[in-house]
Amino acid sequence: MKYLILSSKIIWKVSDNMKSMINKIKNSEFLTFNEVLRLKVAIVTSFLFVFVSLSVPLSSYNNFTSGVDILIPIGFALLLVLTMFLTVINLNRWAMHFSIYTIIGLTIFYVGRTDHFYGYILFFVTLTVIIFYQDIITYLLYGGGITAYGIFYIMENGQAIIGFNSTGLEFSSLTYQTILIGFYIIFLIQFIVSDNIYENMNNEWVSMNKVLKKYQTFSLQYLKENLEINEQNPIYKDPKFQQLISELSVFINEFFEEDGNKIAEVVEFYFFLHDQEIDDIINDKELPLITRKYAIELQKYLLNTRSELVSVLFDFTTLFKGDKKFQVCRYEYNLEKLFNNKIDRLLGLSILYKYLKTEVTQYDRWGKVSRVLTHEEISELFISKEFRAFISFEQVNFYLDNAELFEKHL
Amino acid sequence: MKQNTNKYQYEQLERYKESLELAHLKTKTIIVNAIVFVFAVVVLYFLIETNVGTSMILSTMTMFLVLFIMNFAFYSYDNDHYNNLKIAMYINTLGVYVITIALILKFQTPSIFTSLFIAYALSAIYQDFKAMMLSNFSLFISGSILILRYPDIFRLSGNTDSQTFYILVFLIVFVLLLSLSSYILIKRKTFFYNQLAQIKESEVRNMDLLLEIEKINTKSELDSEAYYSSLSKFSNELSAKIGISNIFDRKIKILRDANVLSMQEILEKYPEYNQKEINELLNLELKLNNKMRKVGIKASQSQGIEVTRKEIFSESQFKSFNHQGDNYYVMIIAFVTFYALLKIDKPYLSELEEDKIKDILFNSEYFHRIDRNIINIYLENNEVFDTIVKDYLEGK
Repeated sequence: MKYLILSSKIIWKVSDNMKSMINKIKNSEFLTFNEVLRLKVAIVTSFLFVFVSLSVPLSSYNNFTSGVDILIPIGFALLLVLTMFLTVINLNRWAMHFSIYTIIGLTIFYVGRTDHFYGYILFFVTLTVIIFYQDIITYLLYGGGITAYGIFYIMENGQAIIGFNSTGLEFSSLTYQTILIGFYIIFLIQFIVSDNIYENMNNEWVSMNKVLKKYQTFSLQYLKENLEINEQNPIYKDPKFQQLISELSVFINEFFEEDGNKIAEVVEFYFFLHDQEIDDIINDKELPLITRKYAIELQKYLLNTRSELVSVLFDFTTLFKGDKKFQVCRYEYNLEKLFNNKIDRLLGLSILYKYLKTEVTQYDRWGKVSRVLTHEEISELFISKEFRAFISFEQVNFYLDNAELFEKHL
Repeated sequence: MKQNTNKYQYEQLERYKESLELAHLKTKTIIVNAIVFVFAVVVLYFLIETNVGTSMILSTMTMFLVLFIMNFAFYSYDNDHYNNLKIAMYINTLGVYVITIALILKFQTPSIFTSLFIAYALSAIYQDFKAMMLSNFSLFISGSILILRYPDIFRLSGNTDSQTFYILVFLIVFVLLLSLSSYILIKRKTFFYNQLAQIKESEVRNMDLLLEIEKINTKSELDSEAYYSSLSKFSNELSAKIGISNIFDRKIKILRDANVLSMQEILEKYPEYNQKEINELLNLELKLNNKMRKVGIKASQSQGIEVTRKEIFSESQFKSFNHQGDNYYVMIIAFVTFYALLKIDKPYLSELEEDKIKDILFNSEYFHRIDRNIINIYLENNEVFDTIVKDYLEGK
């Protein structure tokens, strides 16, 4: 009865883990890079488990000595345990390397110990495992190594897996080698192409994120000024709001632990931080470590700066803002691409100059959005490298030739 | 209740994602065709060297030729380029499998069987979900049929036992691993397309929001008339300086008229311009259209945006209430503050109904920005949340 309960518990735990893994695979795009790496290691480990299990009957099938019979599968099993242990302690990159060592070991075992074609398939499986990790250096190093070993293996043992219908050893070996090299090279090309695309997209995304931060900082500044004008207090100073956050936090926390006092204290500390210089608290070595740690973590969610929470709130708000249907030029800000007609481009350049010169777009020395750009600042902007995203060299030259007219009339 | 995390995504995303993908699909189509060409040359060499006969060489090369012609046709036909290239992609995926299967059936050796993996690798370049599923399926079905139906292919000269069971098991495990890996990789790739498209749209909307908040503060609109007057003076002086008649004047008049006239009336009043030209010109209009204001805002903030190598591939850029390593209390406080702010009237966003908040948090990517346990507690107890908010903010 005891064993029955124990085994049912184990089955329940395993099925629970499986469910969680399937859920993670289904939502893998929302995982962090570290979490994805851990998931990949878990998947590879499961597959390796199958190959290690298969090595048991094969080990005896190939009439190895009984010591080897036992030692080889145990060795691989130990490597798998080590890989899993490394993921548990969050050393996922090391776990990745160890999973690759395991599959390389298995490949060498299968092709070295057996004279069967299925062992050769493992070269492709190994390359697939390495590709799965999507790390070009790892692929070049381990992938290149295993491909080289594959070539060497065919050179040395090509006779062992020559087909019954083959025309001869030379062509059989050449076919094996060409296809293995081809497989490696095609995936190398795929790596380079996708890395290039991914890096460009990522660069654009990161820089766009920074621009967005600037807009949102402006919006927040306007809102602060609006409160000042109307002589109102910000929401985080409202005791009712503070109590509400505390009550809701305690309510959620009750699902995890009975004592609601601790989280109520953290909520109090959260609102306290709004009136402090946060960097002073973080850098104050006399304060307890836990206090500084909370300050670092809560900093992301303060309401008086353009924090992550404020950004998410603004982004959320944009779901409700009026939008237009998609047009080709919707995300285009370069006058050269926006307008085909030269006169339109010139008018665009003039309007852009006028906008920068008359509309408030800069902070003053007190941190308020109240300053416009001067003619000299605009000229500097126009000739800057970053501004090629808006106007062409031709337009800059036109501007420089007629700068006095721009300054006088716009 | 079935979850649909796309319910609240910006409606412009799909079109932009398509245009992004199209640019990449063009490059990939060229690369795949170049590799298929090299493959064809290698196959031709082997066919000649093995003296298989002219008919075999001709039939195999014809298959390659048909593939190239179809690719060329789909690539050249400009109308609905995106879908044409997608069709070319599926044709390539299946086409290369057909060629390799034909080669396997001709030679019936284990070495040529591995060319199926080359067919798989070629389709992997596309990194397209449907193409990969098609490729995985083709690899599994063709591989299994060849193993079960033609076991002689795997007979080795030195070992008559072909051990097809092990080959089949290895193939199944291989295909499963490929399917899972391509599923995860393509999902992540699609996610980045989505993120990029989303941030582009988010930029447009955040600028709109900024203009709206600015208007709340300044309580004034942009003085478009002052712009047009300055433009008129400037264009007069410029024309005089260059020594030409004022070619800008008519266009500035159109910009002024756009506030009061319909498109039809503009076309009748200015017959020298067609609708396309007018539409393009209206991007310069300042009273009804925010395009130039957005160019101005973006341009004014263009300095100091640098991306360092360290920031690339950094997940810290993703804004969420679910950061790894954060204390649970912090995650709870972050979510609760966000939720409470949605329940409060703000100058830029009115308070939201409880049902609406629940629907958005469940059916949007915000679901994934919150810790799974916390969001589940909210979704199961949202009425309690609502009651607490009402209790505390009564008479706010």
